[in-house]
Amino acid sequence: MLSLIKNELGKILVRASSWIYILIVLSVVLAAAVIQAKFTDKPSSNWREELESEIAALEEDLQTAEEEWEKELIIYEIETNKAYLAENINPDTYSNWHFMNDTVFVVMILMVVLFTAIVASASVSAEFSSGTIKQLLIRPHFRWQVLFSKYLAVLMYSLIMLAALIIFGFLIGTLFFGAGDFNTRFFESDLDSNRTVMVVGKQFFLKVLYFLPGLIIITTISFMLSTLFKNQSLAVGVSIFVLLVSSTLGGIIIFLAEKYTWAKFLIFPYLDLTVFATQDTILQDVNLPMALLILAVYYVIFMVLTFTIFQKRDITV
Amino acid sequence: MSEKALEVRSLTKRIRKKLIIDDVSFSVEKGEVFGLLGPNGAGKTTIIKMIVGLIGRTKGEVFINGFDLDREFKKAISEVGAIVENPEFYGYMSGYRNLKHYANLAAEKIPKERIQEVTRLVGLEKAIHQKVKTYSLGMRQRLGIAQALLHNPSLLILDEPTNGLDPQGIREVRGYLRMLAKSGIAVIVSSHLLSEMQLMCDRFAIIEKGKLIQISSIDELNGGNLEQEVAFEVDNADNAVRILKNYYPGFAEKVVNEKQFSVKITRETIADVNQLLVNHGVKVYGIGLSSTSLEEHFLKITGTDGQGGMAYVVANKK
Ligand SMILES: Nc1ncnc2c1ncn2[C@@H]1O[C@H](COP(=O)(O)OP(=O)(O)O)[C@@H](O)[C@H]1O
Ligand SMILES: [Mg+2]
Repeated sequence: MLSLIKNELGKILVRASSWIYILIVLSVVLAAAVIQAKFTDKPSSNWREELESEIAALEEDLQTAEEEWEKELIIYEIETNKAYLAENINPDTYSNWHFMNDTVFVVMILMVVLFTAIVASASVSAEFSSGTIKQLLIRPHFRWQVLFSKYLAVLMYSLIMLAALIIFGFLIGTLFFGAGDFNTRFFESDLDSNRTVMVVGKQFFLKVLYFLPGLIIITTISFMLSTLFKNQSLAVGVSIFVLLVSSTLGGIIIFLAEKYTWAKFLIFPYLDLTVFATQDTILQDVNLPMALLILAVYYVIFMVLTFTIFQKRDITV
Repeated sequence: MSEKALEVRSLTKRIRKKLIIDDVSFSVEKGEVFGLLGPNGAGKTTIIKMIVGLIGRTKGEVFINGFDLDREFKKAISEVGAIVENPEFYGYMSGYRNLKHYANLAAEKIPKERIQEVTRLVGLEKAIHQKVKTYSLGMRQRLGIAQALLHNPSLLILDEPTNGLDPQGIREVRGYLRMLAKSGIAVIVSSHLLSEMQLMCDRFAIIEKGKLIQISSIDELNGGNLEQEVAFEVDNADNAVRILKNYYPGFAEKVVNEKQFSVKITRETIADVNQLLVNHGVKVYGIGLSSTSLEEHFLKITGTDGQGGMAYVVANKK
């Protein structure tokens, strides 16, 4: 089994495309840092006075504001500024850990998932399109072992990409924004714009942790689709479609979930669990253990389907 | 007890009600080159895929070196080296890396020396570190054979191994197969060319529309009482035919020109006819087997009708 995994990982890593994907991810991080550095102000030392004068100015604006929504906006800004003062957090502080927590995080949930899905689909469908699947299956290993070694190899590749992203992001962040304190406190807002004080470094790693289940399930879906259809473009296409659905139809699902309980059991809201880093429940009452349980059920179904079909199928290439 | 290298019993494959392989049974001895002969679409590849477990069987059993493929898959399959349909590799890796990849999958560790040994055997030393996508079909066939031999299998299965090879390459492949058979390996080759089977195999099964029509041995075919078309070159063809008709009243000869005639007779009769002619003072300049004779025999067995049969012979000659 170990030699199988080594073989499969070797086949992924010997291909130029696998490295190009990683390079693309890193380039995006670099580009983002360059752009961000242009628009980031150096934090000033007398930020408390600046905030206080800003509050005073906002309060004057409040007197003259006429529309209701205008007033609400100003009140929100005043409260934000007051909260910064109360918690003694400089709003302009931006360090490598802040960079990790927002930019590197966004690159992670968008691009690492995408490229992992592509590599996962290619890993299976390429064996069919090249016909090498026949050679692979007439060796003294069971079919499930061959498929499982591929699955593990893809996950390993994904972890390599993730590690490269985190290390590179940290280096670039330090280079552009300076080495900050891991324990720097900052305000994180949830989906309803409620602010909570969090520790920035911890928050980043919490998000990475909550990112993993979604990464695994999307990989599993691409893997399943490419095993069923033996066609890479179809598998990648459908996987990306699932991702898009989950991010764009979020509002509709929230709406559905208010009316119908079954909508809470759709897979889409749970593909990205990183929201649990900022809030305790989603869709009113679904907490993290519940979300994980729902994902686990889907996971088992996908895996059983993939492996039983692969075990039985006639190799017709 | 000497175990058979391969035994298949009642191999049957049905895909969506269509019977593709119909109750095929045969066995292959160690040290034997066994052929599967049949036109395209006869079911050769399907039989091979069932033997190596790439597709399921509707019915039937497969024993490799005595191991039941269903119950002892790993033991059975580690006795097999095969090329199914085309020799397929990872084009983005070198030939050597491809071999290493398959070596890693063997039941027992395969040393580096063995990889070099099979590379040498198929004469690919020069190109082995080139990417496979730069290989010609002939080179891939040879790499395919190398790959199949890596783990010292006792059963080698090659599906149409001479596809894409030039006459020189075909001769080489024939050479390896003979050598391997001598060392005790059982070899199965499939082909749609009778002439090839004749040169390569000890025995062959004729497959037609998924059915095993007959198993012949080459000796049987060459000797025995099979009638073959034999051409004679003499000083006077008409005179020779007249003499022969006195002795063989049902003589079905064809006079080609004044010096040549041909006739359908058995191997033994060739010698008799020759002696008869010489005794009557006829000068015999040459005796030859017409090359199509075995193909005609093949057509007779498979019962292909005249027109289709002719087309088939023509197709084979390309
Ligand atoms: N998956 C399949 N579905 C339907 N028919 C098939 C399938 N695979 C093979 N066949 C049919 O089975 C027959 C035998 O094919 P094959 O074994 O490839 O022949 P050969 O190798 O002798 O040329 C052909 O008529 C082919 O059309
Ligand atoms: Mg074939």
